[in-house]
Amino acid sequence: MKYLGLVLANLRRNKLRTVLTGGAIMLAVVLVCLLLTMPAGLDALLNNIANNTRISVHNKGGVVYTMPYSFTRKVRQVDGVLAATATMWFGGAFEEDGRVSFPNFAVEAEYVGAVYPDYNIPAEQLADFQRYRDGAIVGRQTMHKYNWKIGDRITLRSTVWPVNLDLRIVGEMPSDRSPLLWLNWTYLDESLKAHGYRGLGIANVIWVRARDPNRVNAIMRTIDDLSRNSDAETACETEKSYFANFFGSLQGFLTIVLIVTALVALCIVFIAANTASMGVRERARELAVLKAIGFGRRVIFGTLLAEAIALSTVAGSSGVMLAIGLTRVLKASTGWNPALGPLGSFMVTAPVIVQGLFLSLFVGMLAGVVPSFGAARKPVVQTLHEVF
Amino acid sequence: MLPVSYSVRNVVARPGRSLMSASVIALVVIACSLFLGLIASLKRTVSSSGDPMNLVVMRKGSENDGASWLPLAAFQAIRFFDGIARDAADQPLASPELVVQPFFHTHAGGRENVLVRGVEPVALAVHNIVKITEGRMFTPSTHEAVVGRGVVGRYVGTTLGSDLAFGHGTWKVVGILDADGSSFESEVWIDVRELAYDARRPSPYSGARLRAASAADLEPLMRRIDADPRYALHAQRETEYYAKQSESADSLYILVIGIAVLAGIGAGFGASNTMYAAVQARTAEIGTLRALGFSRAAILTAFELEALALSAVGFAIGAASAVGLSRLIGYLLGGIAFGAATSTTNVIMLKVTTSDLLGALVLALAIGICGGLAPAWRAAHLRPIDALHKA
Repeated sequence: MKYLGLVLANLRRNKLRTVLTGGAIMLAVVLVCLLLTMPAGLDALLNNIANNTRISVHNKGGVVYTMPYSFTRKVRQVDGVLAATATMWFGGAFEEDGRVSFPNFAVEAEYVGAVYPDYNIPAEQLADFQRYRDGAIVGRQTMHKYNWKIGDRITLRSTVWPVNLDLRIVGEMPSDRSPLLWLNWTYLDESLKAHGYRGLGIANVIWVRARDPNRVNAIMRTIDDLSRNSDAETACETEKSYFANFFGSLQGFLTIVLIVTALVALCIVFIAANTASMGVRERARELAVLKAIGFGRRVIFGTLLAEAIALSTVAGSSGVMLAIGLTRVLKASTGWNPALGPLGSFMVTAPVIVQGLFLSLFVGMLAGVVPSFGAARKPVVQTLHEVF
Repeated sequence: MLPVSYSVRNVVARPGRSLMSASVIALVVIACSLFLGLIASLKRTVSSSGDPMNLVVMRKGSENDGASWLPLAAFQAIRFFDGIARDAADQPLASPELVVQPFFHTHAGGRENVLVRGVEPVALAVHNIVKITEGRMFTPSTHEAVVGRGVVGRYVGTTLGSDLAFGHGTWKVVGILDADGSSFESEVWIDVRELAYDARRPSPYSGARLRAASAADLEPLMRRIDADPRYALHAQRETEYYAKQSESADSLYILVIGIAVLAGIGAGFGASNTMYAAVQARTAEIGTLRALGFSRAAILTAFELEALALSAVGFAIGAASAVGLSRLIGYLLGGIAFGAATSTTNVIMLKVTTSDLLGALVLALAIGICGGLAPAWRAAHLRPIDALHKA
């Protein structure tokens, strides 16, 4: 502790360099954190969304291959199934230019609440969803994006089905990260019939909630057995596996992101090492004098190291802070992006913060150790000789 | 004016320190050009699929073929519209198509949605870009398939001669489809009737592609299809359609530019540091130069040039490594899968092109100029007497 003054004085000696080095480390930590939020966001999404009692039932051939809607009833009767709802992609676009800007599905209002209790939708809103055929429950992210309130009326133009639906927002999924919109299965079914088409009759995915997490595998087997040799054989998956597969095609992009992150991190190490070694070289004379008057190697090594660590810790923490601020801005400005999917949710999670701080600390150590080690070990006579 | 060689020699004179700063710039260049290359490759893959002479016909309101459907009667009607090119047998070059996205299984046990396009043999005449480079085109009604080059080997059963199982059936792979790097190479083509049956589609087609007889026929043809009251259809140029499909990649540019700017500022700090050290180490020399009568502008220019030379070296190293790294990634990963708007998988080949490198060059030079400015300014404003005194 008594050398703290020396360390601080050394940091203040060349303020410009300290600021430049600290700034470089800070920016790099911001970058690394921002990039790491992409895979971290995906992980967090998989862990959060994926409930260990929820099962997806879909056609073995793919989600677009659909199943008869009536299969939902059979699934509900399987022992251990608490609730099940058929879902169908509506592909509704709200905006004029016709893009689907948030995912929206038709679900069965009377069952959906029991399948997704973890979405924490208030009971009276779920009751309204059942009561009003044209009701819709919307995720908070989308509510904020369009400034919608409960009670608002909106029109979604389907890009898949030949109907437009007028909806009344009756509930909100209270999660900032939820872009979803649910509409009533019967409403879509009847609208199709009213336009002279066959009704829905089919489902993309049937979401099932098991009573007991230990029985999930048995239930999945039973459901698959039920559909065996039918025209629509099913493949059950846990919710986690479903989403992991769904986002599997992003792996390649993630690899590139991680390569770039590694490059940027390497970049910081270079900058910091460069500067630290310059600082030590410049101070060679002073260090020799310190040694000559009796300061030990360890003390010199320690103070130099402490200097590097102090700088990188301060820079690293401000970098993490800046990253948190920036992700807020990014999140507000981008919203749901079909190309990025869950990567666009830019979440600074606790592991990301820890990784960012660890990185800056590591840089501080590495950049401090090499030159300090050399400086502390150099014989006094040689250094003084070089200087004078 | 100080000769340019003065600046260049100064870079070489301290190889260790110069290399350090140049490496930092090089790393930023690599990161920047890899990212730019990725997005450009993605956009190129999708947008190069469009042919300026082709039209896409879909149900009004659909965003892509995957979400559209076209009744048989509607296709039979538009097929004989004026302005559609004809082949040697006087048949119109109108290709009815069905797009379905079944699961394909990767060797690692995962699954991805792959775009399977049901077509008739006329498709090859309409999609000029598509060629069968190995094997042959499938024979309709015999459960044969041709697979895109990007799909080959990526999934179970996607090699020439093997049996490919998806949906409810199994198809024999008889040919490999090459499409000049466009997104057709991420598709599997089979007989349209087989696909409609397999996917249990009540309507056999999702859309149609038409080849216009001449560029002048495009507009009237589009107007006629859109105005036809019997069917709610919409025709658009194929180039426009694919340009729209690739739009979702645009938002990635914001991300890349953000990353490039942040990393660039960081590297600028690094370059600044090095240049400050150079100025400090050469105080006496600068004093001497000033005393000899070199102007402030000359000193400023000399140091700016030195910083620029440094970033040029960094760019050269970075650009070469980025190109090499992209090849290595291509070699190791094969192609990079990317989600397409139709929620299918696009396999893209990462390629860092000249324009991507140009973007990185601008960044590197900006780092050099901005990073060198403050130290150069300081060098130019040293008082000769003080500088000599210090020495």
